[in-house]
Amino acid sequence: MQCYVCAQSGKETEALGICIVCGMGLCKDHAIREDVDLWEGGYPFPSKKAKKKLPRILCAECAEVLT
Amino acid sequence: MPQPTLLKRAIAELIGTFVLVFLGTGSVVTSVVFFGGVDSAGLLLIGLSFGFAVMIMIYAFGHISGTHINPAVSIALWATGRFPSKDLVAYVAAQLIGAVAASLVIVAIVGTRAVDAGLGHTMPGDGVSYWQAIAIEAVTTFFLVLVIWGAAVDKRAAGGFAGLAIGLVVAADIIVTGPIAGASMNPARTFGPLLTETFWGTTSGWEKFPIYIIGPIVGGLIAAFAYDYVSGIKSAGDKDES
Repeated sequence: MQCYVCAQSGKETEALGICIVCGMGLCKDHAIREDVDLWEGGYPFPSKKAKKKLPRILCAECAEVLT
Repeated sequence: MPQPTLLKRAIAELIGTFVLVFLGTGSVVTSVVFFGGVDSAGLLLIGLSFGFAVMIMIYAFGHISGTHINPAVSIALWATGRFPSKDLVAYVAAQLIGAVAASLVIVAIVGTRAVDAGLGHTMPGDGVSYWQAIAIEAVTTFFLVLVIWGAAVDKRAAGGFAGLAIGLVVAADIIVTGPIAGASMNPARTFGPLLTETFWGTTSGWEKFPIYIIGPIVGGLIAAFAYDYVSGIKSAGDKDES
């Protein structure tokens, strides 16, 4: 799979990841890695933030919308 | 965003119990004051009012404080090693304060007619002995805590339905056993109207108050340990926060 962003500018770059939201193939330069907080517990216990976070790969457009 | 502090969780418990007692006992007060009494249809609506109140507060504050809104539930969680001792006193105090505040607000809104109507307090019905009342409170709270354990504490339960299931068991308990002993299942729910009535000079209900302490706590403990045994989940709890 090629990087979609690079392909738009005429470059052929191998994709290293896929945006979890839109499915766009992304190279190392265009992939944005974000850590998402996880909450555990819940009724009948209070929720608390988990020690570990959930990593996700996003493209620039989706990252802008979500953050 | 860290876990809310004990103070914030206690405030959530206070508000949750306030809503439960305001809507629940408020439905009894309005039935008596504005509709002249509680018949079988009124009992259905009272049961649903309590059930809805429990359900909505579970969905509103369940992830913040755990929405116990009932000392019997907090004690059952504590006794099975799922709730820290240091939080127990604060939770129970908040539940009692929330219940009293709700009864006071009902009096403020409806007036002393609410006190004359009994403020929705719980009392054994005609011909029901002290021990029979304790037994029915224990049985109904057994059902309540059993559903809490099965629908929420056990992480194998289907997610998102705990509030509905628990609200429905509260409603069913009240509809069936309300005429027997009031179907309190909750020492705080009985304490609020009782203390508020005392402020207006009515003190006759206190000798019956142990019914609504012993019954719910005993029933809740039996249910908690019974579910843990039958289900095979550890005493520490699969969904333990610690």
